[in-house]
Amino acid sequence: MSTTLHKPAARYRPPAPLGGRGAGPRRSRSSLLALLFLAPALVLLGAFVAWPMLSAFRLSFTDSSGFGRESWVGFENYATVFTDPAVLRALGNTGLYATLFTPTAVIVALALALALNHPRLPLRGAFRTALFLPFVVSLAVAAFAWSYLLDPQIGLLNYWLRGAGLQLGNVLQDPALAMPTVALVAVWKNFGFYMVIFLAGLQEIPASLREAAVVDGANAWQRFVHITLPMLSNTFAFVLIIALIAALQAFDQIYVMTGGGPFGSTQTIVMEIYESGFRELELGFASALSYVLLAITLLLSLVQFVFFGRREQDTQ
Amino acid sequence: MRKTATALLAAVSAGALALTGCAPAQPASDGPTTITFWHGYTEADGDVLEQIVDDFNASQEEVVVETEVKTWDVIDDTLLPALSAEEGPEIVAMPAERMPVYADKGAFVDLGELYADDENVAEIVPAAIDMVTADGTQFGVPTGFVPLSVFYNRTLFDAAGITEFPATWDEWVTVATQLTVDENGDGTPEQYGLALPDHATVANGLWPSLFYGGGGDLVADGEAVIDSPENVATLEYWSSAVATSKISPTGLDGIGADELFSSGKAAMHVGGPWMASISEASGIDYGIAAIPAGPAAQAASAIGVGMGITAQADDAQVEGAEAFFSYFFSEEVATEWSLGSGWPPLRGDIPASAVESNPVVASLTEIAETGRPLLPGVTASVDVLSAMDTATQKALAGDDPGTLLADAQAEIEAALAD
Repeated sequence: MSTTLHKPAARYRPPAPLGGRGAGPRRSRSSLLALLFLAPALVLLGAFVAWPMLSAFRLSFTDSSGFGRESWVGFENYATVFTDPAVLRALGNTGLYATLFTPTAVIVALALALALNHPRLPLRGAFRTALFLPFVVSLAVAAFAWSYLLDPQIGLLNYWLRGAGLQLGNVLQDPALAMPTVALVAVWKNFGFYMVIFLAGLQEIPASLREAAVVDGANAWQRFVHITLPMLSNTFAFVLIIALIAALQAFDQIYVMTGGGPFGSTQTIVMEIYESGFRELELGFASALSYVLLAITLLLSLVQFVFFGRREQDTQ
Repeated sequence: MRKTATALLAAVSAGALALTGCAPAQPASDGPTTITFWHGYTEADGDVLEQIVDDFNASQEEVVVETEVKTWDVIDDTLLPALSAEEGPEIVAMPAERMPVYADKGAFVDLGELYADDENVAEIVPAAIDMVTADGTQFGVPTGFVPLSVFYNRTLFDAAGITEFPATWDEWVTVATQLTVDENGDGTPEQYGLALPDHATVANGLWPSLFYGGGGDLVADGEAVIDSPENVATLEYWSSAVATSKISPTGLDGIGADELFSSGKAAMHVGGPWMASISEASGIDYGIAAIPAGPAAQAASAIGVGMGITAQADDAQVEGAEAFFSYFFSEEVATEWSLGSGWPPLRGDIPASAVESNPVVASLTEIAETGRPLLPGVTASVDVLSAMDTATQKALAGDDPGTLLADAQAEIEAALAD
């Protein structure tokens, strides 16, 4: 039994939006306090993210190897990025990888999240854990394991298929199949993470909406299209963006599985950055390439924001 | 708006690559000169090297060499940032084909005077010196120089009744065909005569070895020569041998070839000295032989490791490092290093009999003369080898060798002109 006295109803004030107008001394004191709490993180981010980024930006206009003499070359590195055939091929490969990986990973993750969200599914926890497990496995371990599984001579997968009279061939050394293969392995490795995010989003949707739709006679597909998808649009946008960024930065798993081969058909932009910077010791060029990748990532993210922002307004 | 800001920040953070590393240099202290030595020897060879360093430190009082063991890849990735922060080593060992790339950036001290003045260093095998020379300047000393050799499975040879190891390419292909077994006739042999990787081969040396045997080369006098008629003939010879006799799977890389041999599925494999211990661990009764002679020569690309003095070293440290090199190449220590590392002696005046207590070293020493350094002094080695790999891999997949080598020639010319 509560004993709180009811105060006269105060004038309702909506909560101030984040980044709203600043006010009086109390506001600035609390801002100072907030800054104080943020300081450790800001210092770390400044030292290990902002400063290296600025340094890399400066380097991108030089012919630096990170050691010894360096000279200013202006936009030469940026010009090379858009004329070097190897870089252009890597850009194309990265685009192909992103096209294969992003929609597949998002759709698989959403489909499985919907299945796991079904209230009548038995052993939900066990399924969720099993599906999330590949994401927990070390990336290098997963890449090595798949390389061995797919090996045409000693691979288990080929061994089983041979038993069934089928031949998979050397998929990781086939220029047409290598990229789809590494993209599929990446989907297997990462969908669990996206699925968990979708699950969280699905559980945010009020059950009353679904119930109302059922009462109105909406079937499962209609409920999905008119309730689930619009209510998930924020989550969907977030997953799509992080999946796309992950795809644009693909490196380690492909590096382990194919090393960029065969004949450079799985060589991605980040691999090209790594090789330029740390194998050929052209840090200036590698920095320019990093900034081009950053620009592409930002541009694609912005396009998605605009698209999903519109959709959100339409929904509202 | 808030979501936009957050996600944009995420994108910016995620899209950034950190190229960093900076720390103040430590002031020099009194007492003996301290020299930091980075190397990647981690097996039995590492133990022997540590022992040699300890013995050197105990043998005099002016210099103390302190070793830091890192993997070869880590050395490659971190050397330049470390040197620019003056936190790097004064001596560094690395795969020899990487050294010209660093020498070109001014990371190594010119050792010409050491070669001219030191009687121990003067005894190093000339081909191994070529490996650490660029534009006529010696920027390092070799710590390992061994030609690729053929490891063969004695058990499979005995089972096929083969008693003599082949001496020429034709004999080699004949023997490999004999040793290729497709029991169920499905077109995929269960046992291959030879593991012939077509890209990323062991120390990138298999195809250069074959090209040398056919009378060709990759780069000569700074010019690309990969599209020579001799190389076209060599590539045609081997791609047709693989296509018609199925003596080797295609699409193999060096590691895959190692695995094929150590799993007993290939009777022969061109590899480095470490295959001896891998074969023993896999229970394979192996023999070692020189790569059979091609129509023009019997030659093998050498796997090499070298060490150099970095530009970070001051005068006292350069002097101390040179004293260590001189000690390292004294006859007794060079023999100890050869026996311990399993690689042939680096001094030309140490005979095979001096290392016969290690049969692997003795076998490798007998064929050491066939060794040629891979792309000595070529700073664009990464691009050259990448162009070569594309050509060899596509050739074994059925494309035309002449066209492929012409493409590789154009790529290499562009890389050398950069």
